[in-house]
Amino acid sequence: MKRLYFFIIGAFSLVGLWAIYYRLTEGLKMTALTSNVSWGLWVVFYIFFIGLSAGSFLLSTMVYVFNMKQYEKIGKVALLSAFFSLVAGLMFIFIDLGHPERFWHALVYRQPTSILSWEIHFYLIYMLIIVAELWFLLREDISRLVIKAKGFKKFVFKLVSIGYSIPDNSEKLERDRKQTHKWMKILGIIGIPTAIGVHAGTGSLFGVIVAKHMWNSGLTPILFLVSALVSGAALMLLLYALLVPKEKQDNTMLKSLGGLLILFIAVDLLIVAAKYLVGLYNYVPDERQVLLNMMFGERWYIFWVGQIMLGAIIPILLLSIKKGSSTLKALAGLSTILGIFCVRWNLVVPAYLESPMPGLETAFVHDRLLFEYTPNLFEWITSLGLISIVILLFSLALNSLPIMETKEGKEDNGETADGVQAI
Amino acid sequence: MEEKKITRKKFVITSLLGTLGLVAGELIRQSHSIDNIENEVDTENKKYGMVIDLDRCIGCNACTIACKQENNTPPNIHYNVVIEKEEGEFPNVYNSFLPRVCMQCDKPPCVKVCPVGATKKQKNGIVSIDYETCIGCRYCMTACPYGARSFDFGENYYDQPNTFEASPYQEYDKIYQRGKGKAPQNSVRKCHFCSHRVDKGELPACVTACLGKARFFGDLNDPNSEVSIKAKGSWTLKSNLGTKPRTFYLGEKRDD
Ligand code: SF4
Ligand code: SF4
Repeated sequence: MKRLYFFIIGAFSLVGLWAIYYRLTEGLKMTALTSNVSWGLWVVFYIFFIGLSAGSFLLSTMVYVFNMKQYEKIGKVALLSAFFSLVAGLMFIFIDLGHPERFWHALVYRQPTSILSWEIHFYLIYMLIIVAELWFLLREDISRLVIKAKGFKKFVFKLVSIGYSIPDNSEKLERDRKQTHKWMKILGIIGIPTAIGVHAGTGSLFGVIVAKHMWNSGLTPILFLVSALVSGAALMLLLYALLVPKEKQDNTMLKSLGGLLILFIAVDLLIVAAKYLVGLYNYVPDERQVLLNMMFGERWYIFWVGQIMLGAIIPILLLSIKKGSSTLKALAGLSTILGIFCVRWNLVVPAYLESPMPGLETAFVHDRLLFEYTPNLFEWITSLGLISIVILLFSLALNSLPIMETKEGKEDNGETADGVQAI
Repeated sequence: MEEKKITRKKFVITSLLGTLGLVAGELIRQSHSIDNIENEVDTENKKYGMVIDLDRCIGCNACTIACKQENNTPPNIHYNVVIEKEEGEFPNVYNSFLPRVCMQCDKPPCVKVCPVGATKKQKNGIVSIDYETCIGCRYCMTACPYGARSFDFGENYYDQPNTFEASPYQEYDKIYQRGKGKAPQNSVRKCHFCSHRVDKGELPACVTACLGKARFFGDLNDPNSEVSIKAKGSWTLKSNLGTKPRTFYLGEKRDD
């Protein structure tokens, strides 16, 4: 089972590598993007993963900053998925650049007026914080693994332990653990504003664009942030219900996590309703028309089926079943995550489909000047491949590090990997 | 062991302070220039602008062709377009034409969002793009309210560029030639008032080509120039967005 899983995901990753190679050599003409719909599927995935990352990270701070002991069991996996989601998000923004080889320009030619420039710095600081937190959390376990492992594995573990080894007496170990505790709190406290900056900032990328009336609102960053929390909580629910064997699951925690998810979804719905209803009230064409097209146009189902059904109604129903099994909870998590993907799509693409100047759409006609966008096969394959690469790395990390272990019990590694397969 | 820990702590603290310092430094360095892009425009020098008289435009698209030729733009790139609309009620229908170039805004949203400063407001009023710096993030295209920017996907009229397409041409102060992966491919492009011609004292290609003599170009700092005189009583597109365009229109106001 485990072999099969790694084989499949490995094959997809190879496809991903091929697609990246192809993309880098051929340029953006491989995509279905046009000059008028300048951001597409890859940007949707980018904000989706950045949101997933920020959401997971904020949930982990409940444990390490606010000392909510009941969530301790998801603390590590929350941090780990925050890290890998961030990696996924950055990979997507990287392949979306017209000149990926010049990505370092963003760090060298900094531009303080540009939100994007600020965001790139935020992402890096945020990544450092996550890595530092993970290192503090896992250094004890890793140095144990260094002692146990042999050959190449030993080398890798040694590398990630960055020279830390378990002290030889228990007094020192106690002191180190205290130190870990303290640093987790400090890093978490710095991390909270950073994570908010990361995702609300990503929302401001869109919020400040005066040319797109639908985005140009102070609610946009808030909407990004709240839906990030929704997706983070959903991911934790999914991972915990899947990865931890049924008999070891902590049902009270699952329940309260479910309650948290419902709360986040409710706030999210409130903001969506406020934003969209206000937008529909007046006759500003590039706001009202965009919203109408989104809800009742050709792609109505992304809003009604994706955003509303999958993202809100189904998870709320599944979670409110009193004696619901953990499989149902996992399904609720999965459905929410898919729903949030639709939310991200609707945040990006519809605003591009209205011409900014009436008549521009017919002034000069060419495939690359359309106000239409459907991602082509290549974009989907690339996305699938990229996501596979990240899932592969994530499951390798889950497989070799004691992420899901808690003080009470340790799970078998084989089962852990099987669990991931279902994602 | 003990020593090691001190260095680690020092390292973390130093790097945090360093980051803070960088952020503060940037903020101070830029704080006065962020919203003063307009004031940076040198009043001593020339400050170019364009006036388009819609009552004289006959919608022939000579400007579009001249522009494509001058800047050797591939099929999907339009620096200049003429937006054509049918107006009025039957039987009194007529076509209205609205040539749209880059407005060379004095408060350009496109410049503000560029993460690497590849697109800049020049002292002479022109908004330029540095094809060697642009990372192709396409944020500026999103930010432009006039749809004036397009992305060079690297496509040509012919799979193997024909002799015209493959010949060298000038934009800004550089010579370019079409070829796979060569600048400006995979960057954003837009109208720049033919800055390479303007630098030589010539008029933009569209102004020269205009059949109806609907376009006027020149130095708006000089109150006696033709363009300054024409600009009186003109209006600009989407003036409510505060972008302060340097391209002005004459004739019946046709906002949006
Ligand atoms: S018209 Fe668009 S591209 Fe030109 S300066 Fe204004 S915002 Fe920038
Ligand atoms: S596409 Fe180029 S010019 Fe436009 S914002 Fe990005 S880096 Fe700047």
